[in-house]
Amino acid sequence: MGAVGRLLRGESDIDFVRVWRATTAASALAVILSVGALVTGGLNLGIDFEGGVVWEVSAPGVSTEEARDALATVGESGAKIQTVGADVLRVQAGPQTDEESAAVVAVLVDLSGAEAGDVSISTVGPSWGQEITDAAVRALIWFFVVIAAYLTIRLEWRMAVGALSAVVHDIIVSVGVYALFDFEVTPSTLIAFLTILGYSLYDTIVVYDKVRENQARAGTREPSDRLMSRSLNETVMRSINTTITTLLPVGSMLVVGAGIMGAVVLKDFSVALFVGLLLGAYSSFFVAAPVVVLLHARDPQEKARRERAARVDGRAAERDRDVGAPADASPIAERPTVFSTGHPPRPRKQGKRR
Amino acid sequence: MSRSRHQGVRSLVFIVVLAVASVAWVTVAGHRPLLGLDLQGGVSVILAPTEEASSDSLDQAVAIIRQRVDGLGVAEPEITRQGDTIVVQIPGVDDTERALELVGQTAELRFRPVLSVVEEAQLQAIAGASPTTVVPGATTTTSSSGDATTTTTAGSDSSTTTAPGGATTTIDAPSATDEVGFALVEGELAAAQVASTTVPPTTTAPGATTPPTTTTTTTTTAAAGVPTTTAPDGAAPPTTVPPIDADAILAQYELTAPGADEAEATVVLGEYDDDNNLVRRYELGPAGLTGEALESASATLQGTEWTVLPIFRSGAEGIDAFNGLALQCNGQQPTCPTGQLAITLDSRVVSAPSVNAAQFTRDQVVISGSFDEREARDVALVLNYGALPLELEAQQSQIVSATLGSDALAAGLVAGVVGLLLAALYMILYYRLMGVVAVLSLTVSAGLLWALVCWLGETQGLALTLSGITGIIVSIGVSLDTNVVYYEHVKEDVQHGRTVRSALDRAFSPAFSTIVKANVASIIGAGLLYVLSVGSVRGFALFLGIATVLDLVAAWFFMRPMSMLIARSRLAQERPGILGVGRPREAS
Repeated sequence: MGAVGRLLRGESDIDFVRVWRATTAASALAVILSVGALVTGGLNLGIDFEGGVVWEVSAPGVSTEEARDALATVGESGAKIQTVGADVLRVQAGPQTDEESAAVVAVLVDLSGAEAGDVSISTVGPSWGQEITDAAVRALIWFFVVIAAYLTIRLEWRMAVGALSAVVHDIIVSVGVYALFDFEVTPSTLIAFLTILGYSLYDTIVVYDKVRENQARAGTREPSDRLMSRSLNETVMRSINTTITTLLPVGSMLVVGAGIMGAVVLKDFSVALFVGLLLGAYSSFFVAAPVVVLLHARDPQEKARRERAARVDGRAAERDRDVGAPADASPIAERPTVFSTGHPPRPRKQGKRR
Repeated sequence: MSRSRHQGVRSLVFIVVLAVASVAWVTVAGHRPLLGLDLQGGVSVILAPTEEASSDSLDQAVAIIRQRVDGLGVAEPEITRQGDTIVVQIPGVDDTERALELVGQTAELRFRPVLSVVEEAQLQAIAGASPTTVVPGATTTTSSSGDATTTTTAGSDSSTTTAPGGATTTIDAPSATDEVGFALVEGELAAAQVASTTVPPTTTAPGATTPPTTTTTTTTTAAAGVPTTTAPDGAAPPTTVPPIDADAILAQYELTAPGADEAEATVVLGEYDDDNNLVRRYELGPAGLTGEALESASATLQGTEWTVLPIFRSGAEGIDAFNGLALQCNGQQPTCPTGQLAITLDSRVVSAPSVNAAQFTRDQVVISGSFDEREARDVALVLNYGALPLELEAQQSQIVSATLGSDALAAGLVAGVVGLLLAALYMILYYRLMGVVAVLSLTVSAGLLWALVCWLGETQGLALTLSGITGIIVSIGVSLDTNVVYYEHVKEDVQHGRTVRSALDRAFSPAFSTIVKANVASIIGAGLLYVLSVGSVRGFALFLGIATVLDLVAAWFFMRPMSMLIARSRLAQERPGILGVGRPREAS
């Protein structure tokens, strides 16, 4: 209960500086694996990227084997056949002529006992995927430019760099996840993913904003790694909760909407959202944060701050030895460091209140 | 403090009343969300030009497709241009194959000689009247093969009299002479014209604004003196004209179906006004040439009159072919008895000017008439489009059956409700009373969102698609996050020794500042997606964006005052634990 209990009470005290060493290695490994998986396995691109036709029909009790046999009679033995949800039969094949498509519809009508009007047909031209990809790349570039500008204005340039590094990390690793698990990439995937980039900044911004707040209180004397670690500790529960409250609806979409009820678009979206959300939560703590610290380390003032902090720590350790209490037994607020930021805060003057 | 309390209550009342009122309003008004065709079944096509296309011709293509789809008679089709692509969405259409085929056809501009014209009003009068009561005026104009000679005396613009509606247009060869309105006879004169018109029309025009004036005068006289209007007590003609067979006339002027509008056929096509009402019908001969003969066209102001200047290509396929038609029409030969040459695009008559010369040079053709600026520009646009018809290719098409559509809707709704309940449950378990506040706040923004979605669907034709529903489901998370950020901030302050009440008060503004920063990043992402993407993606981005904005509204107007009120309540004083945002340190 101890650590979790402290976490729940908002008293977590994790030394993120140490944790970063491990996570940076993990992130690097994940990036390398992702690139490797992409190069060796490639992505499983949906018909939208290659051109083709998808037919869907509600066909209770028809197995994919039966469908495969029936479709082979009209020369569609190469088609990809799935059942989605409870009873929807989904057939996917390359580009078709109108006659071929009509033949498939006829077979499906036979199989399912439905009428021709009950068969959904989705046709995609070969250049569509390129168009979608172009649009996505365009959106991504603009996203980077606008977000960089926005964060620089609202926060600072180091944080803009940090946040965007996290985004790049998210992109690479999720592409890796798609390549590794052979998930199908559709335009919905791309789009959901782009959106989640905006959203994955949420956690990062919450953390950064906390840093700024703490910085304003503590002045500039605290070394940035400690400042960051402290801010992360103060926001960890917030990030966990925001992630959970978002993952619950998305997970419901994945399990209930796509899994049980078989809405394919929901699946495309929710898988991408799920992956993106998890990565976004991870990267805000373990990519965005250390990058800012790293950028600060080059600052000449930072060196002075760290030396000073080390001296203070030495004195505190001595004192602790004298008292005979372990340093980390007390909650953060009671720590005898000079940076403990004037909590409890002094009450505001009455006149200031609205 | 009591003042801020008042403000809080006022803000609460405001937002709750707003939410309830807007939901009540859309309910009473019967607005419901407009479902995208992936939810109700239908056809969706994304078309892209096969070659680089100008913005104008894309717009023209959209207009053409809209006319065609309107012809299908389905409710609420949506045809929009998104960048270089055209997105066509036709919900609830029965013959999906035909709809797809119809949408993708390339529209051709054609020049057809006019065999005869009838005003729609007259036709309706004939249709309404019994065969014996003859509308006299009608006969003169409707007798198609009939005596063109009677109406085309003196080489005047008599043909314009058949169109008293004001859309009288003539094709003139511009010259500085007064004879413009008259039929000039071929060869030498044409040569003379060429000579005279080596000087651009604009330079000669000022001295002689005659071309417009002549046409206007003919128009006015026509409008005044022509018996073609339905005036039943018209002049003498009735006595000479035998009773007409209304059925025969109606049959004769039955509009040709778009599918049967072949270039080689004799067809009946309509001319429409701005409101898409049929104004008159033309019986038209085989197309002598197509828009391919044109190079370009522009609308210019000549004197006080707006005119259209088409420029033809040179050679047999261009101006020569046009002159072939001009010769027929100008001479009012049997192939073109009215002397009018109709310009048709996609089975509609755009304009039917009468031809005032037998011979034209390729860049000296003027279409003049009682155009206003917009009309002239419209005609020029049509001609330009015809010169380079846009060939469209389906990039993506989707036929969604109604059953699968409703299945998808159900899946989206159930997933949304389950996700909502789970998230709400988590919030309440974790934050207790404040969790309830969060759920209430979510309810308020959900109410506003519902009203907005209904309203957008009803007035803007903005359909809610499955991806839109996904966007909304995701926004549930965004909304609750707002509460989480605030409560954790409160918790932290409480941790540091504040009372719950003071922490709830103090934590709001830094928390709200964080929320705004984070939400703006989300909105930027959604906004970029909306602007830069095509098709269903936009729905996702749009509704996520809207929900994020509403979340800020709900946070400010609901979460803030509600939290403050709770903070000041006796409950918070007596049992702070129930608030779920931590206890003061003394108690722990």
